[in-house]
Amino acid sequence: MLQGALAGLAAGGLYAVLAVCLTLMSRLVRVVNFSQAATGMFGGFVAVWLVSHAGWPIWLGSLVGVLIGGALSALIGLIIATWLPEADTTTRSAVTVGPLLLLISLSFILFGNKPQPFSPILSGPAFSIGGVVVSQVTVATVVLAIVVALACRLVLTRTSIGTKLRALSERPTTAELIGIPARPLSVAVWAVTGIISALVIIIVAPSQSNDATSLSMLIVPASAAALLGAFRRLDLAVIGGLVLGLLSGLVAQIDEVSFIRNFLPFLFIIGFLLWTQRKEVWDAAR
Amino acid sequence: MRRVSGTPAARIALPFIVGAIGLAAGYLLSVSLSGYFVFLAVSAVVAAIAILGLGIVTGSAGMIALCQLTFAAVGAWIVSLLNVLNAPGGFIVWLILGGLAAGVVGVLVGLPALRLRGVNLAVVTLGFAAAADVTLVQIQFPGSTDGVSVLRPDAFSDDRSYFFFSVLVLVICGIGVYFLQSGRWGSSWKSVAFSERGTASVGASVPGSKLTAFAVSATLGGVSGGLIAGQVGLPFASSFTPIQSLALYVLAIMSGAYLIDMAIFGGIVWIAVPELLKRWGIPQDWGFVIFGVLGVQALTSGSNLGQSIRNAWWKRQAEKRPVELAAPLAEAAGRDAVTAAPPATAPAPADPSAAPVLVVTDLGVAFGQVKALNGVSLAVPPNTIMGLIGPNGAGKSTFVDAVTGFLPQHTGSVSLDGRDLRGLSATARARLGVRRTFQQDRVPPTLTVEAYVRFVARRRLTIAEIDDALAFFGCPTARTRLQNVDVGTRRLVEVAANVLARPRILILDEPAAGLSHEEHLELGARLLQAPARFGMSIVLIEHDLDLVRSVCSTITVLDFGEVLASGPQAEVLADPAVMKAYMGETEML
Repeated sequence: MLQGALAGLAAGGLYAVLAVCLTLMSRLVRVVNFSQAATGMFGGFVAVWLVSHAGWPIWLGSLVGVLIGGALSALIGLIIATWLPEADTTTRSAVTVGPLLLLISLSFILFGNKPQPFSPILSGPAFSIGGVVVSQVTVATVVLAIVVALACRLVLTRTSIGTKLRALSERPTTAELIGIPARPLSVAVWAVTGIISALVIIIVAPSQSNDATSLSMLIVPASAAALLGAFRRLDLAVIGGLVLGLLSGLVAQIDEVSFIRNFLPFLFIIGFLLWTQRKEVWDAAR
Repeated sequence: MRRVSGTPAARIALPFIVGAIGLAAGYLLSVSLSGYFVFLAVSAVVAAIAILGLGIVTGSAGMIALCQLTFAAVGAWIVSLLNVLNAPGGFIVWLILGGLAAGVVGVLVGLPALRLRGVNLAVVTLGFAAAADVTLVQIQFPGSTDGVSVLRPDAFSDDRSYFFFSVLVLVICGIGVYFLQSGRWGSSWKSVAFSERGTASVGASVPGSKLTAFAVSATLGGVSGGLIAGQVGLPFASSFTPIQSLALYVLAIMSGAYLIDMAIFGGIVWIAVPELLKRWGIPQDWGFVIFGVLGVQALTSGSNLGQSIRNAWWKRQAEKRPVELAAPLAEAAGRDAVTAAPPATAPAPADPSAAPVLVVTDLGVAFGQVKALNGVSLAVPPNTIMGLIGPNGAGKSTFVDAVTGFLPQHTGSVSLDGRDLRGLSATARARLGVRRTFQQDRVPPTLTVEAYVRFVARRRLTIAEIDDALAFFGCPTARTRLQNVDVGTRRLVEVAANVLARPRILILDEPAAGLSHEEHLELGARLLQAPARFGMSIVLIEHDLDLVRSVCSTITVLDFGEVLASGPQAEVLADPAVMKAYMGETEML
């Protein structure tokens, strides 16, 4: 039982990192990025191709893959920042459905629709407590999730870049008028979250079902986790991701309820939305 | 197309004529196409039905739904199940049941969406699509493991006649959607996409509008899935993947699928692109890459093919005929008289013995520590106009929000004709006869003036009644599209439509903002006649004291959220405290 839950924790860490990226994007550039996992997936697949076909060393291939993930994300960000600088969150988010579709299809064309032979960067157990083995991947993703969340928080609250980013997210035009370089900064946010997503996907993909669709659809549990923090709070996003991972690991262990495993993120989403939106809220303040 | 539909009879006949032409074309295609193309054509028709549904929820109602093919899978699953069970009624009944089942699932998925909008709904639907896809692979479609193929209807059992059958279903769905789109539901979808507050303020239910859009959309998805089951016999989960739902969403957006013709065009594109790629020896996955690129283009530019074509066409027409003001013959003489005569008629004094229509007692609204309204009490007598004035930030608009149900946390009481409105939603209050207009533009530009007026009025109106009211307030003709009307005039249309709703009380929040001074005076002259002519009381919020003087019999002055003075016009305006608050200290010196 505990082993099952801990097995889910690796996935939970992955959800948490992606949820932190989603929360950052939502807060700083007003986008729920549906292609968040897809850009990471694409970067990961490029890395696999470089290692397995071009014979690059794993670290170099992974590095290039991570950078490609970041570059793709930055490109989407550039498009949105250029053409929809003032649009609302919904419109901006809808645009990212296009890249999601595009990247999945493109990876089918370039890499085929089979799971990819990821060579694990990390493997093997890290330690074991009371007979329950905790893998290195689990440790890495959970630590990564917490580190990323903490780092983002520090950057946002303690640095002048963070202040500028917050100004930009709340009043884009005003921020631009007082001389904050809006477009470069938002594109940088896109690039950084793209890099983080690609990195975590490359780390975890060997131990996940890693075809293009499954990896891209990680966006669903990730947004479920991000919803726990209402796309605003990083700490709750991390907790949401870890809890969701533990839960699905747990549910997978029990045969009677394992069928709801597929619906777990969905039920998670619905439950939280119903709770947080139980009061009537209008679409405009006045 | 709409210009032909001048008379109501023509308007009803038109979709049937187009449908009959479509059927004839479908028959000709079914006998002339080669077998392979007939199969493709069925796929195109099926896709068109799914896109037609998607057009309602994404195009008209402005929500993001990423699980259309999951609804199709529900339809296909039900049809397969009924086929395996050998349920009575045959394929046509199964198809209808499949559609209805998908509609029910749509409502269930949409239920949490009642309070949700935009992105959250997208997350919900994508989550549903992903979960259902995995589940579908596990449980499979009924009959697929034993190879029990779905039986088509007897009369349409071969591929050619099945194509004709699918065209028939498409025509029925198309006609149905046409009438829904031009009716109340369609107006409520377009209204809710533009503004939820605007929708609630005219007595339409915001959750209801979203839910009907979702249900109709899912039903059409289910019908299309049921047709797929009949087409292929043994449906598989691979026909209903989330990626295909994403692609269908993108296609619906870029074609403008809320327009019926564009939904059909979308269905053809859906099939033609992969087919062409196949012929040219290009991997078919490039099709979705193309959709992705075009989708990004459409979503960033906010335009779509169908609307662009129509806008270009309408623009050419508008150049020929500029926006006309409504002026039916019977009304023309009276209208001239109104315009010519200066607004000399003094406002009718309130009858002190009559029971007031609206009574507000000790109304208070606090936003945190800020008291926006505090102990506001006033009574509006029947068939009069009360002016509500006060400097900016005095709490006038907060007052409107509280009275009309947009601020349920207010304290104190509001009663209409002696009935306490406590606990009633904005929608319920509007239905009881408390109507308001907004300072902001809350008139959905996607509607025509007539559709908007009918939607707002919530009662049967003859076209003569509509023309009469439009002419009375100097609005454009009923057939004008609101997108061609300037914002100031839109607010006049808003006033006219709300007057036609025959409310007990109509609260006008700065209706004259955006109008010229002459138009101000004209509006004043019309408002002065409105209580007697349409039988209602009006609360007028206005900064133009000339207009207030000429129209309002009683005046209430708000300052810092409290009533400074309330009573007959002359008394209130002579009150030194009012002068001080409204004109400023310097005026007094």
